[in-house]
Amino acid sequence: MIEIETLSVRFGGIKPIDQLTAMLSAPVSGLIGPNGAGKTTLLNVLSGFVRPVEGAIKLDGRSLLALSPLQRVRAGLRRSFQTEQVVEDLTTRDNLAALADNVASVGERSRTTDRALEFVGLGSVAHRLGARLNLFERRLVELGKCLIGTPRLILLDEPAAGLTDEEGARLRDLVLAIPDAFGAQVVVIDHDVELIRAMCAETLVLDYGKRLALGNTETVLADPAVRRAYLGEL
Amino acid sequence: MNTQGTLLPAAVPLAAETVVRKQRPLFAIAFAMAVFSTAIALLANAFWLSALTSAMALSLSVAGVAVLYGQLGLVSLCQFALVGVGGWVTLRIGHGFQPPFEVSLLAGGVVAALIGLLFGVPALRLRGLYLALVTLMLAGAFQIVISAWGFPDGGPGFLGRADGVGRSMLARPALATEAIPYFLYCAFIATLGLILVQAHKITRPGRAWALIRKGETVAIASGVNVLAYKAWAFALSGFLAGIAGGLLAGNVGQLEGRAFSAFESLNLFALATVGGAFHWYGAVIAGLLLRALPALLTDLGIDGYVTIGIFGVALFHALATAPTGIAGKIANLLARFTKGGER
Repeated sequence: MIEIETLSVRFGGIKPIDQLTAMLSAPVSGLIGPNGAGKTTLLNVLSGFVRPVEGAIKLDGRSLLALSPLQRVRAGLRRSFQTEQVVEDLTTRDNLAALADNVASVGERSRTTDRALEFVGLGSVAHRLGARLNLFERRLVELGKCLIGTPRLILLDEPAAGLTDEEGARLRDLVLAIPDAFGAQVVVIDHDVELIRAMCAETLVLDYGKRLALGNTETVLADPAVRRAYLGEL
Repeated sequence: MNTQGTLLPAAVPLAAETVVRKQRPLFAIAFAMAVFSTAIALLANAFWLSALTSAMALSLSVAGVAVLYGQLGLVSLCQFALVGVGGWVTLRIGHGFQPPFEVSLLAGGVVAALIGLLFGVPALRLRGLYLALVTLMLAGAFQIVISAWGFPDGGPGFLGRADGVGRSMLARPALATEAIPYFLYCAFIATLGLILVQAHKITRPGRAWALIRKGETVAIASGVNVLAYKAWAFALSGFLAGIAGGLLAGNVGQLEGRAFSAFESLNLFALATVGGAFHWYGAVIAGLLLRALPALLTDLGIDGYVTIGIFGVALFHALATAPTGIAGKIANLLARFTKGGER
Protein backbone atom coordinates (compact mmCIF):
# COMPACT_ATOMS: atom_id res chain seq x y z
CA MET A 1 0.00 0.00 0.00
CA ILE A 2 1.29 3.45 -0.95
CA GLU A 3 0.17 6.45 1.09
CA ILE A 4 0.98 9.87 -0.36
CA GLU A 5 0.37 12.89 1.86
CA THR A 6 0.34 16.54 0.75
CA LEU A 7 3.21 15.91 -1.64
CA SER A 8 4.62 18.89 -3.59
CA VAL A 9 7.50 19.06 -6.06
CA ARG A 10 8.91 22.35 -7.33
CA PHE A 11 11.15 22.92 -10.36
CA GLY A 12 11.90 26.65 -10.27
CA GLY A 13 8.56 28.37 -10.64
CA ILE A 14 6.70 25.25 -11.74
CA LYS A 15 4.97 22.79 -9.43
CA PRO A 16 4.64 19.54 -11.38
CA ILE A 17 3.11 17.97 -8.28
CA ASP A 18 1.01 20.18 -6.08
CA GLN A 19 -0.37 19.13 -2.68
CA LEU A 20 -1.08 15.57 -3.80
CA THR A 21 -2.74 13.23 -1.32
CA ALA A 22 -3.68 9.73 -2.41
CA MET A 23 -3.71 6.15 -1.23
CA LEU A 24 -3.19 3.26 -3.64
CA SER A 25 -3.98 -0.18 -2.28
CA ALA A 26 -5.14 -2.32 -5.24
CA PRO A 27 -2.74 -5.10 -6.34
CA VAL A 28 -2.47 -3.36 -9.73
CA SER A 29 -3.23 0.38 -9.83
CA GLY A 30 -3.24 2.78 -12.74
CA LEU A 31 -1.81 6.27 -12.99
CA ILE A 32 -3.07 8.36 -15.89
CA GLY A 33 -3.27 11.97 -16.91
CA PRO A 34 -2.59 14.24 -19.88
CA ASN A 35 0.97 15.13 -20.91
CA GLY A 36 2.66 17.20 -18.21
CA ALA A 37 0.24 16.07 -15.52
CA GLY A 38 3.12 14.97 -13.26
CA LYS A 39 2.93 11.18 -13.76
CA THR A 40 6.60 10.60 -14.45
CA THR A 41 7.57 13.17 -11.81
CA LEU A 42 5.55 11.22 -9.25
CA LEU A 43 7.31 8.06 -10.36
CA ASN A 44 10.68 9.80 -9.98
CA VAL A 45 9.72 10.94 -6.48
CA LEU A 46 8.75 7.38 -5.58
CA SER A 47 12.04 5.99 -6.89
CA GLY A 48 14.05 8.78 -5.26
CA PHE A 49 15.41 10.70 -8.27
CA VAL A 50 13.37 13.81 -7.47
CA ARG A 51 13.15 15.30 -3.96
CA PRO A 52 9.80 16.79 -2.98
CA VAL A 53 9.69 20.14 -1.16
CA GLU A 54 7.01 18.89 1.19
CA GLY A 55 4.87 15.90 2.00
CA ALA A 56 5.35 12.27 2.96
CA ILE A 57 5.17 8.88 1.26
CA LYS A 58 4.75 5.57 3.03
CA LEU A 59 5.16 2.16 1.46
CA ASP A 60 3.45 -0.51 3.58
CA GLY A 61 3.64 1.86 6.54
CA ARG A 62 7.35 2.59 6.14
CA SER A 63 8.48 6.10 5.25
CA LEU A 64 10.10 6.15 1.83
CA LEU A 65 11.51 9.67 1.52
CA ALA A 66 14.24 9.08 4.13
CA LEU A 67 15.78 6.37 1.92
CA SER A 68 18.29 6.98 -0.88
CA PRO A 69 17.41 5.65 -4.36
CA LEU A 70 19.73 2.69 -3.79
CA GLN A 71 18.21 1.90 -0.41
CA ARG A 72 14.76 1.95 -2.00
CA VAL A 73 15.83 -0.57 -4.62
CA ARG A 74 17.18 -2.80 -1.87
CA ALA A 75 13.93 -2.34 0.06
CA GLY A 76 12.02 -3.80 -2.89
CA LEU A 77 11.21 -0.85 -5.14
CA ARG A 78 11.50 -1.63 -8.86
CA ARG A 79 10.82 0.52 -11.89
CA SER A 80 10.88 0.34 -15.64
CA PHE A 81 11.53 3.31 -17.92
CA GLN A 82 9.45 4.80 -20.74
CA THR A 83 12.18 3.94 -23.22
CA GLU A 84 13.39 0.41 -22.64
CA GLN A 85 16.90 0.21 -21.19
CA VAL A 86 18.09 -3.22 -22.29
CA VAL A 87 21.90 -3.38 -22.44
CA GLU A 88 22.85 -4.34 -26.00
CA ASP A 89 26.00 -6.31 -25.26
CA LEU A 90 24.69 -8.30 -22.33
CA THR A 91 22.62 -11.43 -22.83
CA THR A 92 18.98 -11.51 -21.75
CA ARG A 93 19.98 -13.46 -18.67
CA ASP A 94 22.82 -11.07 -17.80
CA ASN A 95 20.47 -8.11 -18.17
CA LEU A 96 18.42 -9.64 -15.36
CA ALA A 97 21.44 -10.88 -13.44
CA ALA A 98 22.80 -7.30 -13.37
CA LEU A 99 19.97 -6.51 -10.97
CA ALA A 100 20.22 -9.75 -9.01
CA ASP A 101 23.90 -8.90 -8.30
CA ASN A 102 22.78 -5.96 -6.20
CA VAL A 103 19.49 -6.98 -4.62
CA ALA A 104 19.74 -10.70 -3.90
CA SER A 105 22.04 -12.69 -1.62
CA VAL A 106 24.81 -14.68 -3.33
CA GLY A 107 23.00 -18.03 -3.10
CA GLU A 108 19.74 -16.56 -4.35
CA ARG A 109 20.97 -14.74 -7.48
CA SER A 110 20.83 -17.56 -9.96
CA ARG A 111 17.49 -18.82 -8.71
CA THR A 112 15.73 -15.42 -8.73
CA THR A 113 17.11 -14.65 -12.22
CA ASP A 114 15.87 -17.94 -13.64
CA ARG A 115 12.51 -17.54 -11.96
CA ALA A 116 11.99 -14.10 -13.50
CA LEU A 117 13.14 -15.36 -16.92
CA GLU A 118 10.72 -18.23 -16.69
CA PHE A 119 7.85 -16.02 -15.55
CA VAL A 120 8.15 -13.59 -18.46
CA GLY A 121 8.80 -16.46 -20.89
CA LEU A 122 12.27 -15.47 -22.10
CA GLY A 123 13.95 -18.78 -21.24
CA SER A 124 14.45 -19.65 -24.90
CA VAL A 125 16.39 -16.44 -25.58
CA ALA A 126 18.29 -16.38 -22.27
CA HIS A 127 21.69 -16.40 -24.01
CA ARG A 128 20.82 -14.05 -26.84
CA LEU A 129 22.47 -10.62 -26.75
CA GLY A 130 20.29 -7.63 -25.93
CA ALA A 131 21.08 -6.14 -29.35
CA ARG A 132 19.30 -9.06 -31.01
CA LEU A 133 16.04 -8.87 -29.05
CA ASN A 134 12.90 -7.46 -30.63
CA LEU A 135 10.85 -4.73 -28.97
CA PHE A 136 8.45 -7.13 -27.27
CA GLU A 137 11.30 -9.19 -25.88
CA ARG A 138 12.94 -5.98 -24.67
CA ARG A 139 9.76 -4.97 -22.88
CA LEU A 140 9.66 -8.41 -21.29
CA VAL A 141 13.30 -8.03 -20.15
CA GLU A 142 12.30 -4.74 -18.49
CA LEU A 143 9.40 -6.45 -16.78
CA GLY A 144 11.62 -9.38 -15.77
CA LYS A 145 14.14 -7.02 -14.16
CA CYS A 146 11.37 -5.70 -11.93
CA LEU A 147 10.77 -9.22 -10.60
CA ILE A 148 14.30 -9.90 -9.37
CA GLY A 149 14.83 -10.37 -5.65
CA THR A 150 11.92 -9.54 -3.37
CA PRO A 151 9.97 -6.80 -5.14
CA ARG A 152 7.39 -4.97 -3.02
CA LEU A 153 6.40 -2.10 -5.29
CA ILE A 154 6.81 -2.22 -9.08
CA LEU A 155 6.41 0.99 -11.07
CA LEU A 156 5.89 0.46 -14.80
CA ASP A 157 6.22 3.55 -16.99
CA GLU A 158 4.33 2.88 -20.22
CA PRO A 159 5.25 -0.81 -20.27
CA ALA A 160 3.28 -1.51 -23.45
CA ALA A 161 4.42 1.45 -25.56
CA GLY A 162 4.94 0.40 -29.16
CA LEU A 163 3.53 -3.11 -28.75
CA THR A 164 0.86 -4.70 -30.96
CA ASP A 165 -2.53 -5.51 -29.44
CA GLU A 166 -1.62 -9.16 -29.16
CA GLU A 167 1.68 -8.41 -27.44
CA GLY A 168 -0.02 -5.85 -25.18
CA ALA A 169 -2.55 -8.49 -24.14
CA ARG A 170 0.22 -10.94 -23.28
CA LEU A 171 2.02 -8.27 -21.25
CA ARG A 172 -1.23 -7.43 -19.48
CA ASP A 173 -1.71 -11.07 -18.45
CA LEU A 174 1.81 -11.17 -17.06
CA VAL A 175 1.37 -7.94 -15.08
CA LEU A 176 -1.93 -9.18 -13.65
CA ALA A 177 -0.22 -12.35 -12.45
CA ILE A 178 2.60 -10.49 -10.64
CA PRO A 179 0.86 -9.65 -7.30
CA ASP A 180 -0.05 -13.29 -6.61
CA ALA A 181 3.21 -14.76 -7.90
CA PHE A 182 5.61 -12.28 -6.31
CA GLY A 183 3.60 -10.55 -3.57
CA ALA A 184 4.36 -7.11 -5.02
CA GLN A 185 2.08 -4.17 -5.64
CA VAL A 186 2.13 -2.82 -9.21
CA VAL A 187 1.52 0.74 -10.41
CA VAL A 188 1.14 1.21 -14.16
CA ILE A 189 1.47 4.49 -16.04
CA ASP A 190 0.11 4.36 -19.56
CA HIS A 191 -1.64 6.47 -22.13
CA ASP A 192 -3.61 3.47 -23.35
CA VAL A 193 -6.87 3.79 -21.44
CA GLU A 194 -8.03 0.36 -22.61
CA LEU A 195 -4.90 -1.21 -21.17
CA ILE A 196 -5.45 0.58 -17.84
CA ARG A 197 -9.10 -0.48 -17.86
CA ALA A 198 -8.12 -4.09 -18.45
CA MET A 199 -5.33 -4.18 -15.87
CA CYS A 200 -6.06 -1.87 -12.99
CA ALA A 201 -8.70 -2.25 -10.28
CA GLU A 202 -8.14 1.34 -9.14
CA THR A 203 -6.80 4.38 -10.93
CA LEU A 204 -5.39 7.77 -9.94
CA VAL A 205 -5.88 10.58 -12.44
CA LEU A 206 -3.51 13.55 -12.29
CA ASP A 207 -3.98 16.90 -13.96
CA TYR A 208 -1.53 19.82 -13.49
CA GLY A 209 0.03 17.97 -10.57
CA LYS A 210 -3.21 17.71 -8.67
CA ARG A 211 -5.43 14.74 -8.01
CA LEU A 212 -8.35 14.87 -10.40
CA ALA A 213 -9.90 11.54 -9.46
CA LEU A 214 -9.07 8.36 -7.55
CA GLY A 215 -10.99 5.13 -7.13
CA ASN A 216 -12.47 2.23 -9.01
CA THR A 217 -11.17 2.39 -12.58
CA GLU A 218 -14.56 2.18 -14.27
CA THR A 219 -16.01 4.86 -12.03
CA VAL A 220 -12.99 7.12 -12.52
CA LEU A 221 -13.01 6.75 -16.29
CA ALA A 222 -16.72 7.60 -16.37
CA ASP A 223 -16.19 10.77 -14.31
CA PRO A 224 -17.10 13.82 -16.47
CA ALA A 225 -14.14 15.82 -15.13
CA VAL A 226 -11.74 13.06 -16.17
CA ARG A 227 -13.32 12.75 -19.59
CA ARG A 228 -12.98 16.48 -20.08
CA ALA A 229 -9.35 16.74 -18.96
CA TYR A 230 -7.99 13.54 -20.33
CA LEU A 231 -10.20 11.92 -22.90
CA GLY A 232 -10.97 15.15 -24.68
CA GLU A 233 -14.75 14.93 -24.42
CA LEU A 234 -16.89 17.89 -23.48
CA MET B 1 6.52 -13.75 -31.56
CA ASN B 2 8.70 -16.73 -30.74
CA THR B 3 8.64 -16.04 -27.03
CA GLN B 4 5.01 -16.92 -26.61
CA GLY B 5 4.36 -20.06 -24.65
CA THR B 6 7.99 -20.99 -24.38
CA LEU B 7 8.24 -21.34 -20.66
CA LEU B 8 11.44 -22.84 -19.45
CA PRO B 9 11.12 -26.48 -18.41
CA ALA B 10 13.76 -26.34 -15.67
CA ALA B 11 15.82 -23.58 -14.20
CA VAL B 12 18.87 -25.42 -12.91
CA PRO B 13 20.47 -26.62 -16.20
CA LEU B 14 20.34 -23.06 -17.47
CA ALA B 15 22.56 -21.85 -14.64
CA ALA B 16 25.06 -24.68 -15.09
CA GLU B 17 25.25 -24.05 -18.82
CA THR B 18 25.87 -20.38 -18.14
CA VAL B 19 28.98 -21.17 -16.10
CA VAL B 20 30.48 -23.22 -18.96
CA ARG B 21 29.67 -20.56 -21.55
CA LYS B 22 31.23 -17.86 -19.44
CA GLN B 23 34.57 -19.53 -18.80
CA ARG B 24 35.20 -20.35 -22.45
CA PRO B 25 36.71 -16.92 -23.32
CA LEU B 26 39.11 -17.16 -20.36
CA PHE B 27 40.56 -20.43 -21.70
CA ALA B 28 40.62 -18.92 -25.18
CA ILE B 29 42.82 -16.04 -23.94
CA ALA B 30 45.27 -18.41 -22.23
CA PHE B 31 45.46 -20.66 -25.30
CA ALA B 32 45.83 -17.90 -27.90
CA MET B 33 48.46 -16.06 -25.87
CA ALA B 34 50.43 -19.28 -25.27
CA VAL B 35 50.53 -20.07 -29.01
CA PHE B 36 51.35 -16.49 -29.97
CA SER B 37 54.16 -15.99 -27.48
CA THR B 38 55.71 -19.41 -28.15
CA ALA B 39 55.83 -18.60 -31.85
CA ILE B 40 57.55 -15.27 -31.16
CA ALA B 41 60.03 -16.81 -28.70
CA LEU B 42 61.03 -19.34 -31.38
CA LEU B 43 61.24 -16.94 -34.32
CA ALA B 44 62.23 -13.46 -33.16
CA ASN B 45 65.76 -12.04 -33.04
CA ALA B 46 67.08 -9.86 -30.23
CA PHE B 47 65.86 -6.59 -31.79
CA TRP B 48 62.34 -7.88 -32.30
CA LEU B 49 62.26 -9.63 -28.95
CA SER B 50 62.86 -6.35 -27.14
CA ALA B 51 60.19 -4.53 -29.17
CA LEU B 52 57.67 -7.33 -28.65
CA THR B 53 58.42 -7.47 -24.92
CA SER B 54 57.49 -3.78 -24.73
CA ALA B 55 54.41 -4.50 -26.87
CA MET B 56 53.29 -7.20 -24.43
CA ALA B 57 53.77 -4.85 -21.48
CA LEU B 58 51.90 -2.01 -23.16
CA SER B 59 48.98 -4.26 -24.14
CA LEU B 60 48.27 -4.40 -20.41
CA SER B 61 47.98 -0.64 -20.15
CA VAL B 62 45.73 -0.64 -23.24
CA ALA B 63 43.56 -3.27 -21.58
CA GLY B 64 43.18 -0.82 -18.71
CA VAL B 65 42.15 2.09 -20.88
CA ALA B 66 39.78 -0.26 -22.72
CA VAL B 67 38.02 -1.03 -19.43
CA LEU B 68 37.26 2.67 -18.99
CA TYR B 69 36.35 3.34 -22.62
CA GLY B 70 34.79 0.05 -23.70
CA GLN B 71 32.99 -0.74 -20.47
CA LEU B 72 32.09 2.69 -19.08
CA GLY B 73 32.36 4.95 -22.12
CA LEU B 74 34.89 7.18 -20.28
CA VAL B 75 37.77 8.76 -22.19
CA SER B 76 40.91 8.83 -20.07
CA LEU B 77 43.95 10.48 -21.66
CA CYS B 78 46.43 9.98 -18.83
CA GLN B 79 47.08 6.26 -19.10
CA PHE B 80 50.70 6.56 -20.18
CA ALA B 81 51.35 8.82 -17.19
CA LEU B 82 50.16 5.95 -15.00
CA VAL B 83 52.52 3.63 -16.87
CA GLY B 84 55.20 6.10 -15.83
CA VAL B 85 54.04 6.07 -12.21
CA GLY B 86 54.24 2.26 -12.17
CA GLY B 87 57.69 2.37 -13.76
CA TRP B 88 58.96 4.98 -11.32
CA VAL B 89 57.76 3.07 -8.25
CA THR B 90 59.11 -0.25 -9.57
CA LEU B 91 62.54 1.34 -10.14
CA ARG B 92 62.46 3.20 -6.82
CA ILE B 93 61.58 0.09 -4.79
CA GLY B 94 63.88 -2.11 -6.86
CA HIS B 95 66.94 0.13 -6.43
CA GLY B 96 66.13 1.13 -2.87
CA PHE B 97 65.45 -2.25 -1.29
CA GLN B 98 66.51 -4.86 -3.90
CA PRO B 99 63.49 -7.11 -3.24
CA PRO B 100 62.48 -9.83 -5.73
CA PHE B 101 61.35 -8.19 -9.01
CA GLU B 102 57.75 -9.28 -8.41
CA VAL B 103 57.58 -7.22 -5.20
CA SER B 104 58.75 -4.03 -6.97
CA LEU B 105 56.37 -4.76 -9.85
CA LEU B 106 53.39 -5.27 -7.57
CA ALA B 107 54.26 -2.08 -5.66
CA GLY B 108 54.29 -0.22 -9.00
CA GLY B 109 50.86 -1.65 -9.84
CA VAL B 110 49.36 -0.78 -6.47
CA VAL B 111 50.67 2.80 -6.39
CA ALA B 112 49.53 3.38 -9.99
CA ALA B 113 46.10 2.01 -9.01
CA LEU B 114 45.90 4.56 -6.17
CA ILE B 115 47.03 7.42 -8.43
CA GLY B 116 44.61 6.16 -11.10
CA LEU B 117 41.84 6.30 -8.53
CA LEU B 118 42.85 9.88 -7.74
CA PHE B 119 42.94 10.78 -11.44
CA GLY B 120 39.48 9.21 -11.70
CA VAL B 121 37.95 11.62 -9.19
CA PRO B 122 37.00 14.15 -11.92
CA ALA B 123 35.17 11.35 -13.72
CA LEU B 124 32.65 11.20 -10.91
CA ARG B 125 31.31 14.52 -12.20
CA LEU B 126 32.66 14.84 -15.76
CA ARG B 127 32.17 12.87 -18.94
CA GLY B 128 33.05 13.13 -22.61
CA LEU B 129 35.17 16.04 -23.78
CA TYR B 130 35.59 17.59 -20.33
CA LEU B 131 36.91 14.41 -18.77
CA ALA B 132 39.23 13.98 -21.76
CA LEU B 133 40.59 17.50 -21.26
CA VAL B 134 41.09 17.14 -17.51
CA THR B 135 42.87 13.79 -17.85
CA LEU B 136 45.04 15.17 -20.65
CA MET B 137 46.07 18.00 -18.34
CA LEU B 138 46.96 15.44 -15.67
CA ALA B 139 49.13 13.69 -18.25
CA GLY B 140 50.76 17.07 -18.96
CA ALA B 141 51.36 17.61 -15.25
CA PHE B 142 53.05 14.20 -15.03
CA GLN B 143 55.19 15.08 -18.03
CA ILE B 144 56.50 18.16 -16.19
CA VAL B 145 57.13 16.29 -12.95
CA ILE B 146 58.91 13.37 -14.59
CA SER B 147 61.12 15.55 -16.77
CA ALA B 148 62.22 17.37 -13.60
CA TRP B 149 62.65 14.29 -11.45
CA GLY B 150 63.67 11.66 -14.00
CA PHE B 151 63.45 7.97 -13.19
CA PRO B 152 65.43 6.43 -10.32
CA ASP B 153 68.67 4.83 -11.49
CA GLY B 154 70.31 3.67 -8.32
CA GLY B 155 71.25 7.03 -6.78
CA PRO B 156 70.65 8.17 -3.19
CA GLY B 157 67.67 9.94 -1.65
CA PHE B 158 63.98 9.88 -2.46
CA LEU B 159 64.43 10.62 -6.16
CA GLY B 160 67.20 8.04 -6.48
CA ARG B 161 69.11 9.89 -9.18
CA ALA B 162 72.73 9.02 -9.77
CA ASP B 163 74.08 11.90 -11.80
CA GLY B 164 76.37 10.49 -14.44
CA VAL B 165 78.47 8.13 -12.33
CA GLY B 166 77.18 5.08 -10.52
CA ARG B 167 74.06 4.60 -12.64
CA SER B 168 72.75 1.11 -12.31
CA MET B 169 70.17 -1.02 -14.09
CA LEU B 170 67.17 -2.65 -12.47
CA ALA B 171 67.71 -6.39 -12.27
CA ARG B 172 65.24 -8.55 -14.12
CA PRO B 173 63.34 -11.27 -12.25
CA ALA B 174 65.57 -14.13 -11.16
CA LEU B 175 63.80 -16.68 -13.31
CA ALA B 176 63.91 -14.56 -16.48
CA THR B 177 67.18 -12.71 -16.80
CA GLU B 178 67.73 -13.43 -20.51
CA ALA B 179 65.75 -11.88 -23.38
CA ILE B 180 63.60 -14.89 -24.36
CA PRO B 181 62.62 -15.88 -20.80
CA TYR B 182 61.86 -12.22 -20.00
CA PHE B 183 59.65 -11.96 -23.07
CA LEU B 184 57.76 -15.08 -21.98
CA TYR B 185 57.59 -13.66 -18.44
CA CYS B 186 55.96 -10.46 -19.77
CA ALA B 187 53.64 -12.47 -22.02
CA PHE B 188 52.59 -14.56 -19.03
CA ILE B 189 51.82 -11.51 -16.89
CA ALA B 190 50.02 -9.84 -19.81
CA THR B 191 47.90 -13.00 -20.16
CA LEU B 192 47.05 -12.91 -16.45
CA GLY B 193 46.07 -9.25 -16.80
CA LEU B 194 43.90 -9.86 -19.86
CA ILE B 195 42.19 -12.76 -18.08
CA LEU B 196 41.64 -10.54 -15.04
CA VAL B 197 39.93 -7.92 -17.22
CA GLN B 198 37.86 -10.51 -19.08
CA ALA B 199 36.79 -12.09 -15.79
CA HIS B 200 35.58 -8.67 -14.69
CA LYS B 201 33.67 -8.15 -17.93
CA ILE B 202 31.68 -11.38 -17.73
CA THR B 203 30.79 -11.21 -14.07
CA ARG B 204 29.24 -8.78 -11.63
CA PRO B 205 31.47 -5.71 -12.28
CA GLY B 206 30.98 -6.06 -16.05
CA ARG B 207 27.21 -6.10 -15.67
CA ALA B 208 27.29 -3.09 -13.35
CA TRP B 209 29.59 -1.19 -15.76
CA ALA B 210 27.25 -2.00 -18.64
CA LEU B 211 24.34 -0.49 -16.72
CA ILE B 212 26.37 2.63 -15.85
CA ARG B 213 27.26 3.03 -19.53
CA LYS B 214 23.56 2.78 -20.35
CA GLY B 215 22.81 5.61 -17.96
CA GLU B 216 23.46 6.38 -14.31
CA THR B 217 19.75 6.64 -13.54
CA VAL B 218 19.19 3.17 -14.98
CA ALA B 219 22.14 1.85 -12.98
CA ILE B 220 20.89 3.33 -9.71
CA ALA B 221 17.37 2.02 -10.38
CA SER B 222 18.98 -1.40 -10.76
CA GLY B 223 20.65 -1.10 -7.37
CA VAL B 224 24.18 -0.46 -8.69
CA ASN B 225 26.53 1.56 -6.46
CA VAL B 226 27.74 3.81 -9.30
CA LEU B 227 30.51 5.49 -7.30
CA ALA B 228 32.07 2.23 -6.14
CA TYR B 229 32.03 0.57 -9.56
CA LYS B 230 33.47 3.62 -11.34
CA ALA B 231 36.21 3.88 -8.72
CA TRP B 232 36.97 0.19 -9.11
CA ALA B 233 37.31 0.60 -12.88
CA PHE B 234 39.81 3.45 -12.45
CA ALA B 235 41.80 1.50 -9.89
CA LEU B 236 41.91 -1.59 -12.10
CA SER B 237 42.91 0.48 -15.11
CA GLY B 238 45.67 2.19 -13.10
CA PHE B 239 46.89 -1.13 -11.72
CA LEU B 240 47.29 -2.57 -15.22
CA ALA B 241 49.12 0.59 -16.37
CA GLY B 242 51.42 0.37 -13.37
CA ILE B 243 52.28 -3.28 -14.04
CA ALA B 244 52.97 -2.32 -17.67
CA GLY B 245 55.37 0.39 -16.45
CA GLY B 246 57.17 -2.05 -14.18
CA LEU B 247 57.60 -4.56 -16.99
CA LEU B 248 58.94 -1.83 -19.28
CA ALA B 249 61.46 -0.86 -16.60
CA GLY B 250 62.55 -4.49 -16.36
CA ASN B 251 62.94 -4.79 -20.13
CA VAL B 252 65.76 -2.28 -20.48
CA GLY B 253 66.65 -1.90 -16.81
CA GLN B 254 65.92 1.85 -16.82
CA LEU B 255 63.38 4.36 -18.08
CA GLU B 256 63.77 7.70 -19.82
CA GLY B 257 61.68 10.66 -18.62
CA ARG B 258 61.34 12.05 -22.14
CA ALA B 259 59.44 8.91 -23.23
CA PHE B 260 56.53 9.79 -20.94
CA SER B 261 55.09 12.90 -22.54
CA ALA B 262 51.37 13.65 -22.61
CA PHE B 263 51.46 12.83 -26.31
CA GLU B 264 52.14 9.18 -25.44
CA SER B 265 48.89 9.05 -23.47
CA LEU B 266 46.99 10.47 -26.43
CA ASN B 267 48.68 7.99 -28.71
CA LEU B 268 47.85 5.10 -26.40
CA PHE B 269 44.19 6.02 -26.29
CA ALA B 270 44.04 6.48 -30.07
CA LEU B 271 45.56 3.05 -30.64
CA ALA B 272 43.29 1.44 -28.07
CA THR B 273 40.45 2.64 -30.32
CA VAL B 274 42.19 1.40 -33.46
CA GLY B 275 43.01 -1.98 -31.92
CA GLY B 276 39.54 -2.34 -30.47
CA ALA B 277 38.39 -1.48 -26.95
CA PHE B 278 35.65 -4.08 -26.86
CA HIS B 279 37.63 -7.32 -27.32
CA TRP B 280 40.52 -8.67 -25.28
CA TYR B 281 42.79 -9.11 -28.31
CA GLY B 282 42.23 -5.45 -29.23
CA ALA B 283 44.68 -4.65 -26.43
CA VAL B 284 47.29 -7.03 -27.86
CA ILE B 285 46.84 -5.53 -31.33
CA ALA B 286 47.20 -2.02 -29.92
CA GLY B 287 50.34 -3.07 -28.02
CA LEU B 288 51.83 -4.39 -31.26
CA LEU B 289 50.91 -1.20 -33.11
CA LEU B 290 52.54 0.89 -30.39
CA ARG B 291 55.86 -0.97 -30.34
CA ALA B 292 56.10 -3.53 -33.14
CA LEU B 293 55.07 -1.21 -35.98
CA PRO B 294 57.76 1.40 -35.22
CA ALA B 295 60.24 -1.49 -34.92
CA LEU B 296 59.17 -2.79 -38.32
CA LEU B 297 59.67 0.63 -39.90
CA THR B 298 63.09 0.97 -38.28
CA ASP B 299 63.93 -2.50 -39.58
CA LEU B 300 62.96 -1.32 -43.07
CA GLY B 301 65.04 1.83 -42.69
CA ILE B 302 62.05 4.19 -42.48
CA ASP B 303 61.98 6.96 -39.87
CA GLY B 304 59.99 5.83 -36.80
CA TYR B 305 58.09 9.12 -36.75
CA VAL B 306 56.23 8.01 -39.88
CA THR B 307 54.18 5.87 -37.49
CA ILE B 308 52.50 9.00 -36.15
CA GLY B 309 51.08 9.67 -39.61
CA ILE B 310 50.05 6.06 -40.02
CA PHE B 311 48.34 6.11 -36.61
CA GLY B 312 46.47 9.27 -37.59
CA VAL B 313 45.10 7.65 -40.70
CA ALA B 314 44.27 4.45 -38.79
CA LEU B 315 42.45 6.44 -36.13
CA PHE B 316 40.45 8.30 -38.75
CA HIS B 317 39.57 5.01 -40.37
CA ALA B 318 38.52 3.48 -37.04
CA LEU B 319 36.36 6.44 -36.04
CA ALA B 320 34.74 6.71 -39.45
CA THR B 321 34.07 3.07 -40.32
CA ALA B 322 35.10 0.69 -37.56
CA PRO B 323 34.21 1.92 -34.07
CA THR B 324 34.98 -1.52 -32.63
CA GLY B 325 38.48 -1.38 -34.13
CA ILE B 326 40.53 -4.08 -35.77
CA ALA B 327 39.50 -6.54 -33.06
CA GLY B 328 35.84 -5.88 -33.88
CA LYS B 329 36.52 -6.67 -37.55
CA ILE B 330 38.24 -9.91 -36.55
CA ALA B 331 35.37 -10.82 -34.24
CA ASN B 332 32.89 -10.33 -37.08
CA LEU B 333 35.00 -12.49 -39.33
CA LEU B 334 35.26 -15.22 -36.70
CA ALA B 335 31.52 -15.05 -36.10
CA ARG B 336 30.93 -15.69 -39.79
CA PHE B 337 33.02 -18.88 -39.64
CA THR B 338 31.44 -20.14 -36.45
CA LYS B 339 27.98 -19.32 -37.83
CA GLY B 340 27.52 -16.65 -35.17
CA GLY B 341 25.18 -18.97 -33.27
CA GLU B 342 22.94 -17.22 -30.82
CA ARG B 343 25.32 -14.36 -30.32
